[in-house]
Amino acid sequence: MSDNISNETLLDLHRRMVRIRRFEENAGKLMEDGKIPGALHLYVGEEAVASGVMVNLTDADQITSTHRGHGHCIAKGGAFDRMFAELFGRSTGYCKGKGGSMHISNMELGILGANGIVGGGPPIAMGAAFSNKFRKTKDVAVCFFGDGASNEGSFHEAANMAALYKLPAIFVCENNGYGEYTPQANHQAIVDVADRAPGYGMPGVIVDGMDVMAVYEAAGEAIARARAGEGPTLLECKTYRYFDHVGVRGMGLTYRTDEEVEEWRKKDPIETFESRLAEQGILSAEAAQAVHDETMAEIKSAIKFAEDSPFPAPSAVTEDVYA
Amino acid sequence: MGTIGLLANPASGKDVRRLVARASVFDNQEKRAIVRRAVTGAVAGGATHFIYHNDAHGITQQALDEFADQITATAVDSTQMGSALDTISAARAMRELDCSVVITLGGDGTNRAFCLGWPDAPLLPISTGTNNVFPVLQEATIAGAAAGLIASGQVTEGVFSQQKRILVNIEGERDDLALIDVLLSNERFVGARALLKPNQFRSALLTRADPAAVGITSIGGLLHPIDAADDCGLWLTFGEDGDVIHAPIAPGLYHKIPISACEPLALEQPICCSGPGTLAFDGERERTLKEGQVATLTLSRSGPYIVDVASALRQAADIGSFKI
Repeated sequence: MSDNISNETLLDLHRRMVRIRRFEENAGKLMEDGKIPGALHLYVGEEAVASGVMVNLTDADQITSTHRGHGHCIAKGGAFDRMFAELFGRSTGYCKGKGGSMHISNMELGILGANGIVGGGPPIAMGAAFSNKFRKTKDVAVCFFGDGASNEGSFHEAANMAALYKLPAIFVCENNGYGEYTPQANHQAIVDVADRAPGYGMPGVIVDGMDVMAVYEAAGEAIARARAGEGPTLLECKTYRYFDHVGVRGMGLTYRTDEEVEEWRKKDPIETFESRLAEQGILSAEAAQAVHDETMAEIKSAIKFAEDSPFPAPSAVTEDVYA
Repeated sequence: MGTIGLLANPASGKDVRRLVARASVFDNQEKRAIVRRAVTGAVAGGATHFIYHNDAHGITQQALDEFADQITATAVDSTQMGSALDTISAARAMRELDCSVVITLGGDGTNRAFCLGWPDAPLLPISTGTNNVFPVLQEATIAGAAAGLIASGQVTEGVFSQQKRILVNIEGERDDLALIDVLLSNERFVGARALLKPNQFRSALLTRADPAAVGITSIGGLLHPIDAADDCGLWLTFGEDGDVIHAPIAPGLYHKIPISACEPLALEQPICCSGPGTLAFDGERERTLKEGQVATLTLSRSGPYIVDVASALRQAADIGSFKI
């Protein structure tokens, strides 16, 4: 990182965060209205993590995601229309309507899949990173997971192998303080998941996951290191989800206080970034609003596309099945 | 009988310098072990009462639990935000309770945050950070013993020395401070905080220029050394038309740094710099300056008092504090 970040990249970071926020808010409303079937795990509040990491990646780089995966997909370049179609269960969706919210994948964009299994992503990312090294590409694999998933054996095995073989992998822990409804203090004896990194033989770093610039810089360094053949990194981003584990509500719940939610909302990644961009004359309030408006127009069109699309035919149920 | 304050920063030793440099990860189990050793030493030195910051990671609380039958320990009323605000509020509370000496675990940033809450605190800083110019690398058992001797009143004279600090007055905003250095960079964001881009450095004011340390202080130190005891600082201007210093700006990381001017600066002589840019305090980007916004830096000897551990132990030997 020898030069100052370009205004183009700053605006790109902002746009990615806005796209995630607006998509998730609309998806949540559609779920509450009963128009989208099944459960949605929404990423509102955590936008800086996916955006700050993904700006450093190309389509050839791979990611694995979690049950809370819409934000990763959008930040990696996922199209609203095909995402909404997938949530609606339509044949035009990324998984032809047969995957739903927790399984969106697209190989062209390097999205190896969201994953309903907690801790399901790390071994897949480790495998992709092994492939990158074996094929001598400069591509990297980024694995997103939560504080809860960091207790799973799959994570430990993947981290161990990635460090052992010095693979181009980045383990991005989105530590939002809760494994579903369980406070972190009730499921692990440590507070910083990054403390585990030296035990695997890789560096562990903590950044403010509500600050997109902090994530962008730290992820950029970890990714550059991986591309240079210097091995994996565990990057822990301290973040927070505003909404409930599933759906929207978020307030008036017993496993956390409303005051806690309000305190984190004061650090909102989009509002603070817009304020800083405005101070520096990079993005006026009007220009920021235009980004929100354009995003909303695209969402409206995408929802219509999804609603107008057909459900998959019953005969397609055995297609695209690996085994 | 005085009291010993205890504060361990759970966030120290974990930033991006593990990647861009070769700094070590300082995990919180190790910090807990250090607190245990410090308390062991303090009890041996005669301390019986501790006031501590109950950090969200339970570092000090769990360490103190082992000594429940030998000491009394009281947690201060401080925030649990997981940020520097916790350290600042704990420092304010310890000041109110008039601790005789405070043992801090962290790096330069931790001690800077503490001094934001208690500017002239009596400190015994143990290094568990990244850049450790202010805190000293020392065995916690012995550091704790020195604190115990002070708290128990056995050692009273000549063990504290007041440090320099830089008061930073930012036009239209709250004041700030640094204990070791203030650096103005062209970078526009605080971001990951570490100073990653030497080609963006513009100017720096150092309270000490230490050739035997890492960080910004080393740049001045390799050019014009200034000690903690000297009543002056060093003002550096970065640029291509002067010396180039090969300096360790972070642990395990040397850079070639061009310096266009290097001038000693007397105490109480204000010096200004202006934005746009980012101000880094003690090695970490902390505040942004808008276009044309002025920051006034004033060096003074009004910082914290730090304990000379060796001197305290020598006095203890002279008066037989540890004779049974």
